[in-house]
Amino acid sequence: MSSGRLRRLLTTVLPPLLVLVFVVAGVEWIVARGWVAERLLPRPSTVLRVFVPSSPDPLTLSDQLDLRRTLLWATWGTAKGAVLGFLLSVAVGTVVAVLLSSNRWVRRAFYPYAVFFQTVPIIAIAPLLVIWFDFGLPVVIAASFIASVFPVIANTLTGLLGTDLALREMFRLYGAGPLATIWKLRLPHALPSMLTGYRIAGGLAVIGAIVGEFVSSGGLSSLGAVIDTARTQLRTDVVFAAVLLASLLGLAIFATINALGTLLLHRWHASEQP
Amino acid sequence: MTKYVLLILTVLTGVALSGFACGHAETATTNDKVRLALNWKPEPQFGGFYAAELIGAFKQHNLDVEILPGGSGTPTVQMVDNGRAEFGIVSADELVKLRAKGGDVVALFAVFQTNPQAIMTHEARGLKSLKDLLESPGTVAWQAGLPYVTHFKRNFDLAKLRQVPYTGGLPFLTSPDFAQQCFVISEPILARQQGHQVATFLIADSGYNPYTTVVITKGSTLRDKPALVAAMTKSILAGWTAYLADPAPTNDVMRKLNPTMDARTFAESAAAQIPLIRTEETAQNGLGSMTTTRWKTLIDQLKTYREIDQDIDPASCFHPASTP
Repeated sequence: MSSGRLRRLLTTVLPPLLVLVFVVAGVEWIVARGWVAERLLPRPSTVLRVFVPSSPDPLTLSDQLDLRRTLLWATWGTAKGAVLGFLLSVAVGTVVAVLLSSNRWVRRAFYPYAVFFQTVPIIAIAPLLVIWFDFGLPVVIAASFIASVFPVIANTLTGLLGTDLALREMFRLYGAGPLATIWKLRLPHALPSMLTGYRIAGGLAVIGAIVGEFVSSGGLSSLGAVIDTARTQLRTDVVFAAVLLASLLGLAIFATINALGTLLLHRWHASEQP
Repeated sequence: MTKYVLLILTVLTGVALSGFACGHAETATTNDKVRLALNWKPEPQFGGFYAAELIGAFKQHNLDVEILPGGSGTPTVQMVDNGRAEFGIVSADELVKLRAKGGDVVALFAVFQTNPQAIMTHEARGLKSLKDLLESPGTVAWQAGLPYVTHFKRNFDLAKLRQVPYTGGLPFLTSPDFAQQCFVISEPILARQQGHQVATFLIADSGYNPYTTVVITKGSTLRDKPALVAAMTKSILAGWTAYLADPAPTNDVMRKLNPTMDARTFAESAAAQIPLIRTEETAQNGLGSMTTTRWKTLIDQLKTYREIDQDIDPASCFHPASTP
């Protein structure tokens, strides 16, 4: 790695890493000293111990599975729902945005209803999703979709509508049909905005998936189920560990989208140039 | 500029930390002003407490009691342990689990001698017992973290059962092979009113029977203010005696606080709970009484199921501790 890139890596990674070290050490000290009861705020060391392979834990209710493997399987369970929900948002959101961008009156008539996906309180309608889709993965995907589709629609639409007028005129001059205009001009120009939408949607998809799991996921097969069970059993250390894993899952989706953005745009768009 | 940012951050951190510290300290209260935290909305299961207020029992004992209704997930056992309420309503297994984690709460009065939790399903399924239900194909909705679920997993073969989270009764009404946890004195009555024939199976019949709707207080409150605690216990006993004799006036009061159930349901529920409250044991030892034997059974079960990891002295769980 060149010294320039190494230096850039250090200046971006080191400051937040130092903050993390200080905060974690601070919390560990405060709880160890007894200023805050461990029942309220588990020590970081207790939470991390959840990840150490150990003897069977009562929470897993099984003599074979230890807590670490249970949590990893649960993360996989949530990942399935969140990623599928996210991909569904991308597919449906893009189609909806293209339709809304095609005609001013269509946009005026239907865009306000797209906002509904943003504002509906998922935790309140989740029991209804169970009635419609029965327990299990379909509910998780539905909840994940509802939580993440609006940023895709909004950002894709902004990108599509923002194409340079002169370029659009030029396409018309050359006799390009609407499909060619969309595929060759508007979508490529919309890509940076679309990727912003995906970045936002990725984290929301994980949140939506976990809410869906609270109402439809039994046992310990997903992070939502683990959080719900651990919460009932007052195992705050497991709750924190599961929340940490959920955040890491959101981060992984975010990083994937960033990598995709670099791949697609680094040759020609200002946003991905060094 | 940086100086001001650092100053603001420090102040905010200080405020946040003192917020934590406050939750940990005992709240100072005058001797007779107390809070009783319920773990659900006002319903016949709490009738005796509202009756005590109605008949003036609290006032008679110089108590100014504020009854705090609860809801889904109200953490009453932690509220009492943290000093946010002087008294609270919990179930006996919650008390044992908190004591095993180092909390200090003590039971004073157990309303339900028989745990009213049950599993409810449609009568049309023709199931005859809890064992039938748990070992037949079907769906059951319950809170997976509750100790009775562990009890089932250890004593029955649940391989054919699909277990899902409990989030209210909606799927029950639409699925014929659905079962869910319930309180035998409320959900089945509501279901029957809506025209559904239901069969209920008491969890207590399978051998897991913790005292329920138990009044608790913090150990330090009991030690520092024994007269206050004695006054509260006497008032509650008077309230429950009055409520069991005539629930109607108190039900009217509770209905205003909880309009989700109508008068008829309140009356049916109040009648259904009597055999769970008045038993042979209470005929001998008084309403709300508890025995060391039953606490010991519960502690042994929780220890076997690894819900707690240490032994608890049964006599430390309740007051006044009786001989077995």
